Amino acid sequence: MSDLAKEKAARLLKKRGSVSSLGSHDVRAKETGGKIKDSISTVSYIDEPGHHDDNPRPAVQMENTFQLAPLRRFPVLTVNDILKDVLDSYLQEEKYEAELCRQMTKTISEVIKARVKDLMVPRYKIIVLISIGQLSDQNMRIGSRCLWDSSNDTFSSHSFKNSSLFAVANVYAVYFE
Amino acid sequence: MDEFQTGEETAFVVDEVSTIIKESVEGAIGGNAYQHSRVNQWTTNVVEQSLSQLSKLGKPFKYIVTCVIMQKNGAGLQTASSCFWDNTTDGSCTVRWGNKSMYCIVSVFGLAI
Repeated sequence: MSDLAKEKAARLLKKRGSVSSLGSHDVRAKETGGKIKDSISTVSYIDEPGHHDDNPRPAVQMENTFQLAPLRRFPVLTVNDILKDVLDSYLQEEKYEAELCRQMTKTISEVIKARVKDLMVPRYKIIVLISIGQLSDQNMRIGSRCLWDSSNDTFSSHSFKNSSLFAVANVYAVYFE
Repeated sequence: MDEFQTGEETAFVVDEVSTIIKESVEGAIGGNAYQHSRVNQWTTNVVEQSLSQLSKLGKPFKYIVTCVIMQKNGAGLQTASSCFWDNTTDGSCTVRWGNKSMYCIVSVFGLAI
């Protein structure tokens, strides 16, 4: 029984091995209808380095909890306030600079994740997505759709603007059944 | 007790997902130049097409698909995401696509149930 589990874990690790590379490969768009499209697409998936060095835990078999719905629902309004608070405090007086904003996005997303985790809402998985962009004459649209259980799962969003940059923060909360 | 086939079929496979996304983006906005009036429709199409293809995979996953379409104007954009989930089963994938007049960035997050 344990050999089977070890084998599965090894296979999983091998598969995951290709995922953890900081790789990106270019794909030229195919020619269709006789017109050569000048579009390029790249794929990137970045994982924390060193994460896959740990021994992979064998998949945990969960027991039934007989719980149909979460005991405590996700507090959307509280999270809205957190987002407003964090974005305002970090970005109020900042100007858009590529390097600074690169660090800022990473920091802000970690800070928001930590504060949402502090709310200690049990059995919820959290995804925080931050975009910071420069204000110039461009137009932009951000959209998202989710395939989930709308009675339990929810999201929260906030946008911030100052004279040189704008920031959009999205938090998705997904119930782990 | 039966032993269920966990692990292999219920891990987030990045390659599969990225192929689906690339096809959806190409199909929805393939040879077009940026047009303000149509961008709303385009984001909707990209996201809905991706989501329907992902659901056809039939895996026990909840998906979140985000699409950003931005006009090419020399402006910069930074994006970051931070996720609190189960590393063995959940994953994400980001696809960046561009042509002469615009960028399209699609992020997919897959969470196992």
